[in-house]
Amino acid sequence: MSDPAETKSWLRWLLAPQQRLLNAALALAVAAAGLFILQSWLLASLFSHWLLAWQAGSLASFDSSFWWPWLVGLPLCFILRPWLQYGRERLSQRASLRVRQALREQLLQRLAMLGPARRGLGADAELGSRLLEQVDALDGYVSRYQVQRQLVVIVPLLLLLATAWHSLLAAALLLATAPLVPLFMVLLGQAAANASQRQFVALGQMSGRFLDLLRGMATLRHLQALDRAQLAVEQAAEDYRSRTMRVLRMAFLSGAVLELFASIAIAMVALYLGMGLLGMLPWAQGEIPVPYQGALFILLLAPEFYAPLRQLGSDYHARAEAEGALAELLPLLKLELWQHPGTEPLQLQQAPVIDCRSVGIDLPGAAARLCPLDLRLAAGERVWLRGPSGSGKSTLLHVLLGFLPHTGEVLIDDLPLDVVRRSDWHRHVGFLAQQPELIPGTLADNLRLAAPGASNQQLIAALQEVDLWPLLRQLPLQLATPLGERGLGLSGGQLSRLALARLLLRDTWVWLLDEPLAHLDPQTAELIGRLLERLSRGRTVLLVSHETVGLDWLDRQVELQEGEHG
Amino acid sequence: MAEQHQPAVRLRSLLNSRLGGWWVAGVLGFITLFSAIALLAVSGWFISAAALAGLALASASVGHGFDIFRPAAVIRLLALTRTVGRYTERLASHHAALGLLRDLRSRLFRRITQARRLPLRTPGAMHRLVADIDLLDQFPLRVVLPWAWASLLLGLLLLWLALLSPGLLLVTLPGLLLAWLSPWLGYWQGGRLAREEVAHAEQRREFLLDSLELLTPLLIWQRWGERSAAFAGQDRAHLQRQDRQQRLSSRIALLQQWALAASLLALLWQGWPLISEAAVSVPLLLAVLLTLLGLSEALLPLAGSFVALGLSQAARDRLNSLAGEAPQQEPSRPRPEGPWRLQLHAVTARWPGALNGPDNIHLQLEQGETLLLQGPSGGGKSTLLQLLAGEQLPSSGECRLNGQPLLHWDVRQVIGYLPQDIDIFNLSLAANLRLGNPQASDEQLWQTLTDVALADWARAHPQQLQLQPGELGSAVSGGQARRIALARLLLAERPVLLLDEPFAGLDATTREQVMAALVRRQAQGLLVIASHQPIMADRLRVLPVGDG
Repeated sequence: MSDPAETKSWLRWLLAPQQRLLNAALALAVAAAGLFILQSWLLASLFSHWLLAWQAGSLASFDSSFWWPWLVGLPLCFILRPWLQYGRERLSQRASLRVRQALREQLLQRLAMLGPARRGLGADAELGSRLLEQVDALDGYVSRYQVQRQLVVIVPLLLLLATAWHSLLAAALLLATAPLVPLFMVLLGQAAANASQRQFVALGQMSGRFLDLLRGMATLRHLQALDRAQLAVEQAAEDYRSRTMRVLRMAFLSGAVLELFASIAIAMVALYLGMGLLGMLPWAQGEIPVPYQGALFILLLAPEFYAPLRQLGSDYHARAEAEGALAELLPLLKLELWQHPGTEPLQLQQAPVIDCRSVGIDLPGAAARLCPLDLRLAAGERVWLRGPSGSGKSTLLHVLLGFLPHTGEVLIDDLPLDVVRRSDWHRHVGFLAQQPELIPGTLADNLRLAAPGASNQQLIAALQEVDLWPLLRQLPLQLATPLGERGLGLSGGQLSRLALARLLLRDTWVWLLDEPLAHLDPQTAELIGRLLERLSRGRTVLLVSHETVGLDWLDRQVELQEGEHG
Repeated sequence: MAEQHQPAVRLRSLLNSRLGGWWVAGVLGFITLFSAIALLAVSGWFISAAALAGLALASASVGHGFDIFRPAAVIRLLALTRTVGRYTERLASHHAALGLLRDLRSRLFRRITQARRLPLRTPGAMHRLVADIDLLDQFPLRVVLPWAWASLLLGLLLLWLALLSPGLLLVTLPGLLLAWLSPWLGYWQGGRLAREEVAHAEQRREFLLDSLELLTPLLIWQRWGERSAAFAGQDRAHLQRQDRQQRLSSRIALLQQWALAASLLALLWQGWPLISEAAVSVPLLLAVLLTLLGLSEALLPLAGSFVALGLSQAARDRLNSLAGEAPQQEPSRPRPEGPWRLQLHAVTARWPGALNGPDNIHLQLEQGETLLLQGPSGGGKSTLLQLLAGEQLPSSGECRLNGQPLLHWDVRQVIGYLPQDIDIFNLSLAANLRLGNPQASDEQLWQTLTDVALADWARAHPQQLQLQPGELGSAVSGGQARRIALARLLLAERPVLLLDEPFAGLDATTREQVMAALVRRQAQGLLVIASHQPIMADRLRVLPVGDG
C-alpha cells in the first residue's frame, strides 16, 4: 500500500492546472445556494401571508403592487438556480476531462521511457487497463468531489446563519449533528479507499486473465482444458464481484449514516417548530418561540442543510475510487528515476566502437538479470554472443538500447551511453527482436512502420533482398496483402524475413540482432546468414543466437555465463 | 439476424436472472423515495396546521384539540424508513447487479469457448467481456428502476391532486408531464452517442494495446511520438464524446427542473384563488408544494437514463455479435483404439490465399514409427500438420487413421498437436503443465520436465514449479516456452503426437536427449515431427514436403 499523504499530494498536483475551472464551478454552486435561501424566504413569507389572511378570513383581492417581490423573485430563483447548477456541472466536467487527458498522456510518455523494462510493471493488458480505466476512475473525484468538498462547508454555514437569524435552537439542533458527519466519513472513507484499491487490482487481474485465456483458446480447446479455463474465469469474475460489493457496502454505509442524521434532524426540527407553534413546548408552555414564517423558512432550509453532505457521502466513494486508482498508478508515475539520463547529441559518421565495461544488472525483483560483463566491439566488428537460455543475452541488448539502468559503463566511441541522448543513439541502431512485432494492417503498413518515407520500390527492393518478393509478387494484393493477428498468413520463416526487410529499410551503423535465424530451415538460414553477412559489412553487429547454421562469417564468438539464480 | 438464433444477451431477460433481488430493490427504493418526499410534505403540513391551531388557540379560549402525536409519529417513522430504505435498497440492487454481471461473464465465456472460431481480435474480445458486461447493469440500475419509481410516484401524486382538487391537478399537470417526458428528448441522440462511445472505446483500447506491444521497435524507429500522438487524438475524441453525453444529460436535467418550476409557479399562481374558494387549505397547499419540490429527487435521475439505455444496448449488440450463434451439437463419433496406423493418400492442402502447401503426399506410418517432415520454411510442413490436427482447410486426397477417414473418429483425446505459435498462460509453471493433465502429480511434472530438458532450469529457480512465466512467455525464452508447451502436451498423453519445430533453440546434445524421451514415450503410438534440424530415432522415416 502506498502512503496516503503521497497519494493526496499527487492528486493535488494533478488538479493544479484546472483549479480556475473548479473555482468558477464553486462560485456558481455558492450562488445557487444563495438563490435557494432567497427562494425559501420568498415561499415562507408568501405562505405566512396567506395563512394569516386565511385565518383572519380577509380574503383580499389580488393586488399586484403588493405581490411584486414574489412575482419577480420566485420565477427568477426557479429559473436561475437550475441554470447555475448546470453551469457548475459543465465546468467541473471540463476540468475532469482535461485532468484525465493530461494524465493519460503523461503515463504513456513514462511507459515509453521504460521501453522493454515496462514488463516489470505488468503485462501489457494490465498496463492498458491502468491507462484507460484507472485514469477514468478519477472522473468522479474531479468533476464532483472537488467542488462538493468545499460546498459541504460553505452551504451549511450559509443556511445555519439564515436559520440562526430566526431560531438559535433550531440552528443548534442542526449544528449538533453536523460535526459527527466528518468523523464518520474519515473512518469509513479510509476503509473504502483500501477496498477500492483492491478492487482495481482485481479488475486488472480479471482483464489479464481474460486476454490470456482468450488468446490461447485454440490451445485450451486442443488440451480439453476449457472447463479449467472456465473455472479460472469464474474465479476471477467472482473475485471481482465480491471486491466490488465490499467497496460498495462501505460506501453505502457512510451514505446511510449521513442519511440517518439528515432524517433525524429534519424530523426533530419539524417537531420542535410544530410544537412551538402550538405553544406546547415543555419549557415554553403557551409561548411561540418561532413564528410561522420563520418556522416554515427553517423547514424549507433543513433538507438542503444536509444535501451537500449527503452528496459528498456518495461522492466520497469517488474519492476512494480515485485514491485507489492513483495508488495503482503511482508506481508508474514515480518511475522517473529509470529514465535514460543522456542529453548529449550523438553523430556517427561510421560504425562505432561499443565498449561494455563490467555491465551488469541485479535489481531486486526484476525479471532481467545479467552478470557483470566486459565486451568490446571494435568499429565494424561483428560479434556472436552465445549462452544458455536465461543467461541474459536479450537483457544485454536492452541495456545497449538504453532501456535498462545498469551497473558498469557502456561506451560508444568513448562516449558513455548514459550521456548520449537516447533518440540520437536509436537513430543509428537497428534492432531485431525474437518475435517480429506486427500491427494489424497490410504488408506495406508493417514495413513502413520502420521507414515511413519508403517508396514502394524501396519496399520491394528490401523484400527482394530477403527473398520474400518472388513469393509475395504472386499474391493478388502484393504489398497491400493484409496480415492478421500474429502475422497470420505467413510462415514463421517468412515473418523473420519480413522483419529483416524492415531492418534493411533503415540503414543504420549498429545492428543488435536477437535470434535472427530461429525458426528458419538450415537452407534458408544459410541464405539469410549470407545475406546478413553481405549487408552487415561495415556495421558494428552484436548477434545473439543459439543456432550455429549460417553464422560462420561472424568475426568473433563470446560465450555468456549462466546467470546466478538464488 | 433470423429469429431462430438465440442471442446470448437480451436486455429483457437481464431482470429475469435475479428477479427476486430486483423486486426487493424496487420495492425498497420506492419506499425510500416515498418516505423522503412524504417526510417533507408531512412536516410542512404539520407546522402549518400547528400554526393555524396555535392562532386559533390564541384567539379562542377553548382548546382545538389538535392531535400532535399522530403526525409526530408519522414524521419519525418516515425519517426511519427513508434511512433504512436507502441503505437496504442500494445493497439489494447492487447485489443483484453484480451477481448479474458475474453470471453474464461466465455465460459469455462459455459461449465463446464453444464457438468454432474467435470472431475478432482478442484484445477486443477481452474488452467486451470486461467493460461491456459492466455496462449492462446500467439497464436495470439506471433505466428500469428509476423509471418505475418516478412513474409510480408521479401517478400517486396526480391521484392525490385529483382527489384534493381537480383545479390543482389541472394547473400542475403540464409542467409535471413535461418533467416526466423530457428525458425522451434524449432517446435518439443519447442512444446514438452511447453506441458511438462503446464502439470507440474498443477501438481506443485496441490501439493502445497494439501500441504497447510495438513500443520497443517504435521507440527505436523514432515512430513512437507519432503513434502516441495518434493515441492522444483518439483519446481526446473519446473524451469529447463522453462530454457530449454528459452535456445532453445535464441539459435534459435543466429542462426538467424548469418544467417542475413551471408547475410550481402555476401552483402558486392558482393557489390563492383556490384558497379563496376554499377548494384547498393552506397547509395542504404547502404539502403539495413540498411534494412537487421533493419530486425532483425522483425525476432528475431520468435525465441520464437514455444515455444509459444506449450504453446497455450497444454493449448487448456487441456482446451478441461476439458470442455468435448458439453452438450446434456435434454428432458423436467413435474413439479409435490402438494399435495406431496413419495413411495418407494423394493429400494436397492449401490455406486460402497461401502459395505453398503439401502436394500429393503419400504415406503409411505404423505404431512406434517416427516421421520427420523436412522441407524449407513455408513449404507446407505446418499446413500438413494442421490438416492432420483437424483444422478445416481446403484439401483433397485421403487421411486415414486406423483404416478409417479422420473425420470418422473422435480424435480429441487422441491427437496431440504442438503448433508453431504456442501459448504459455499467465499461470504458474505447474498450472500451465497441468492444463495437459489436471491429475498429474508433482513427480510426473518433474519427470516430464526432465524429458524436455527443462528440469535443471526449473530447479535453478527459487519458485521451482510455482515459477510464473509471465504473459506470453515474456519471462522465459522462446525455446523454453516451446518446451513448456511440449511438456504440457506430453502430460496429456496423446497416442498420436504432431510436433511443429519442437527443438527450436536447442543444441545438438539436448536435442538428442529430448528426442530419445519422445521416442520412448511414443513407443505405443505415432510421432510426427516437422523440423529443420536432423534428428535420430530407431524407426525413423523421412518425408520431404515442398521442394526441399
